[in-house]
Amino acid sequence: MAVYEHTYKLYTGKLTPEWSRFLIIPRHAFRDVFASKIFMGFFVLCFVCPLVMAILIYLHYNTNALLIMQLKVSDIVSINGEFFRQFLWVQSSLAFLLTVLIGPPLVSRDMSNNALPLYLCRPFSRAEYMIGKMSVLVILLSAITWVPGLLLFIFESYLEGAGWFAHNIWIAGAIVVASLAWIIVLALLSITVSAWLKWRIAASAGLFAVFMIPGVVGTLIYFMFDTRWGNIINLSAILESISKSLFRSRSDFNAVPDLPALGAWIGLAIFCAICLLLLSRRVRAYEVVR
Amino acid sequence: MNSVIELDNLGVEFGKRPILRDLTRSLSGRAIGLLGPNGAGKTTLIHTLLGFHPPTSGSARIFGTDIRNGAKQIRTQIGYMPERDSFIANMTCVHFVRLMAELSGLPADAALERAHEALFYVGLGEARYRKLGTYSLGMKQMAKLAQAIAHGPKLIFLDEPTNGLDPPARKRMIDLIREIRDSGQAKIVLSSHLLRDVEECCEEILVLKEGRIAVYCNLEEERKANRKFLELETRGDNDAFAAGVAGLGCEYALTGDQRIKLVLQPGVEIRDLYRIADERQVQIRRLNFKRDSLEDIFLKAMEDGNGGL
Amino acid sequence: MDQSPEQLIVFEDVSKFYGEILGVNRVNLSITPGITSLVGPNGSGKTTLMNLMTGLLRPTRGRISVLGISPNQPEVLFHKLGYCSQFDSFPRGLTGFQFIYSYLRVHGYMRSEAEQLSMKALDRVGLVEAAGRKVAAYSKGMRQRVRLAQSIAHGPVVLILDEPLNGLDPMARAETIRLFRQLAAEGLHLIMSSHILHEVDMMSDRVVLLNNGYVVAEGEVQGVRDEMDEHPMQILIRCDRPSALASRVFDQDSVVEARIHADRGGLFVKTPDADGFYLLLNRIVVEGELNVESVAPVDDDLNAVYQYLIGSGGGNS
Repeated sequence: MAVYEHTYKLYTGKLTPEWSRFLIIPRHAFRDVFASKIFMGFFVLCFVCPLVMAILIYLHYNTNALLIMQLKVSDIVSINGEFFRQFLWVQSSLAFLLTVLIGPPLVSRDMSNNALPLYLCRPFSRAEYMIGKMSVLVILLSAITWVPGLLLFIFESYLEGAGWFAHNIWIAGAIVVASLAWIIVLALLSITVSAWLKWRIAASAGLFAVFMIPGVVGTLIYFMFDTRWGNIINLSAILESISKSLFRSRSDFNAVPDLPALGAWIGLAIFCAICLLLLSRRVRAYEVVR
Repeated sequence: MNSVIELDNLGVEFGKRPILRDLTRSLSGRAIGLLGPNGAGKTTLIHTLLGFHPPTSGSARIFGTDIRNGAKQIRTQIGYMPERDSFIANMTCVHFVRLMAELSGLPADAALERAHEALFYVGLGEARYRKLGTYSLGMKQMAKLAQAIAHGPKLIFLDEPTNGLDPPARKRMIDLIREIRDSGQAKIVLSSHLLRDVEECCEEILVLKEGRIAVYCNLEEERKANRKFLELETRGDNDAFAAGVAGLGCEYALTGDQRIKLVLQPGVEIRDLYRIADERQVQIRRLNFKRDSLEDIFLKAMEDGNGGL
Repeated sequence: MDQSPEQLIVFEDVSKFYGEILGVNRVNLSITPGITSLVGPNGSGKTTLMNLMTGLLRPTRGRISVLGISPNQPEVLFHKLGYCSQFDSFPRGLTGFQFIYSYLRVHGYMRSEAEQLSMKALDRVGLVEAAGRKVAAYSKGMRQRVRLAQSIAHGPVVLILDEPLNGLDPMARAETIRLFRQLAAEGLHLIMSSHILHEVDMMSDRVVLLNNGYVVAEGEVQGVRDEMDEHPMQILIRCDRPSALASRVFDQDSVVEARIHADRGGLFVKTPDADGFYLLLNRIVVEGELNVESVAPVDDDLNAVYQYLIGSGGGNS
């Protein structure tokens, strides 16, 4: 009979390609995320609106169905840039709620028991760590914003034909860019808050606060100083301006007039820079106490 | 012999404060002990070698690769067991070790296999399926060791590995460290305040003091040196025994109730001492050559230079 | 040995349960002045016993008396007792000096006296230069020492220390052990817990071994070993011809076991009659012309006692 000894052995097999390593984080995070029933329920709900929109698009072109339901084409909303913008507005709000649901524990779980040195003592940089964590949100949020948006666009193009497609291709661009702007900001904000606040409740409150409070302040500034630039700190106003400019919208139902597009983009860039700065203060292998 | 770690005038500063200065030494033992008082810079040295902090001056090489530009490559071959608690509370141990192994570059299936192997090796059985937040201190230490070795690194940094462990757990940890050392597959750097641990595991010692190297010592060679001083513990008529020793012409000193230190003169053998003991019906309960223990080396290193400690 | 209750710390049939979980069960102890070390695996009841002594916990059953005072009277007890826990936490924002000073003021000392006592305590642990810095900036070893200083500042007669050498570098360890021996010589009761058995061996007067909430052995280290008759003593003799030694050694009736060391450079001998064996050894070495390299009892120390009584299965890992 042979007795097998277990001694320490080196690893001599293949290694995974370096560029793909940041994806390890979302892969492992999804295991935990999708284990939660609440999340699954909510995630499924996020697809209700795309489904409804798809039905609307279909109804637009299926006159038989309309006759059966005794409706006229003009009664149904028209499929144009505004249609997609409104769709994205709904999905973006859901995206915010999704972020509040799964964002807070992403980095705080690593920080609360000092696991970062273990990440960083490997061939894994701080940048890869941050990108990896952001990818968790970027991937999930993309799945409910621009991916269904683009699918709806393609569906409409399929029904309308190549002419409509060529004429409205800018809408596809707008869908992607507006969604990504929103997603990246949310992801960045979320992991920054997660890196700084340990308690889940505090982190969720922090996320809400970053959106609500500047909104109030911006409105106040407008009424007190008669300038719309108070809204530069208001993230939702910035993103609204950006999306309106991308979708070439005219509608204006807000109390405070919109910021010019360039100003909004600059505001967004500054906001992201601040988040990155705060993040890099916290995501470290060790703390130096002076 | 290929060097494991080469320090080349290494200097590290935080802001304007110098933490490490002029560290120059080539280390090639299977297990290297890192010692020094608190604040001497041991942790900073480890952090610098791991690439957490860039050196301010000079450089260092690990397995021939410079830490300044080869950090990522070096880190593929390194395992690290930090002193502080380091874990993710809501993960099971297996998931945690597997994640760490994947981050070191192992493909997912190999990572899972090696994670289980490492956990088996450190002795974590069924407990590996429980969340790390429920672990006791000893188990957390073993989990930390498991993540440090799962990806099969060639150099393992252990910072106070026996911290908080009760005696049997400490023995298990020391045994594991010695097994890894003896396997010849990996080198070990052990930083500890417990001189016993270092003495039992390490062959080379580096003692830091105020950011500089105070002493470098090769314990293997020390152990082979100096065979003149003997320490004995007796039971019976100690004075009669001492008289007999004096009769042999050896210098001696009574250092306690039944303890005697003596210098073996050339020509005198230990057997002669036994002859005396036999004649006087004295038991020699304990006998050994006195060599500089690590404690002596360490304390001497701390005294040098300033006179006082 | 009869000592009046005012000089002893007494546990009378003490049990402590945390709901269903066992802390300690039926403990009977009488602790004399000097250094008494509590030894045992994590979870064996060491911290429970210490907390019972200070009154931070009430026993489920039994009676405790610290120098004649009951732990139910903290106002009286804490003047005589100092406690240093194993937890590394501090009120925020204080310097080392302020930390000790503020607790002394709570004790009721006047300002000048409190200052004096604080500086004295800091001097005893060697932290005078660092006294003005914030505790948060201290290294782990310094934090340990400042907590120690805080526990001795008010001149207690009983010191209860939970793993006091944790995190200290070798010099600080040696100095702290020296301090403990000084305090013991001054007549204090020092009760401390530790995992580092050779240090416990070296500095303690008495040792209490705990396992799973029970006291399994208690007394002077040497005495505890001697009492374990059923365990024969093991001795390692390193020499040039261990097999020759082995064959001669079996001539004596009382040698129970002889085993050659794995490196073939020594012989392990187990015998219940140590005295007889050692005298025989003299004879064997002379007659057999053996070259002895070293002789050492392998299990004369606390490590062996721990191994026999608690083994590696102790605790709840």
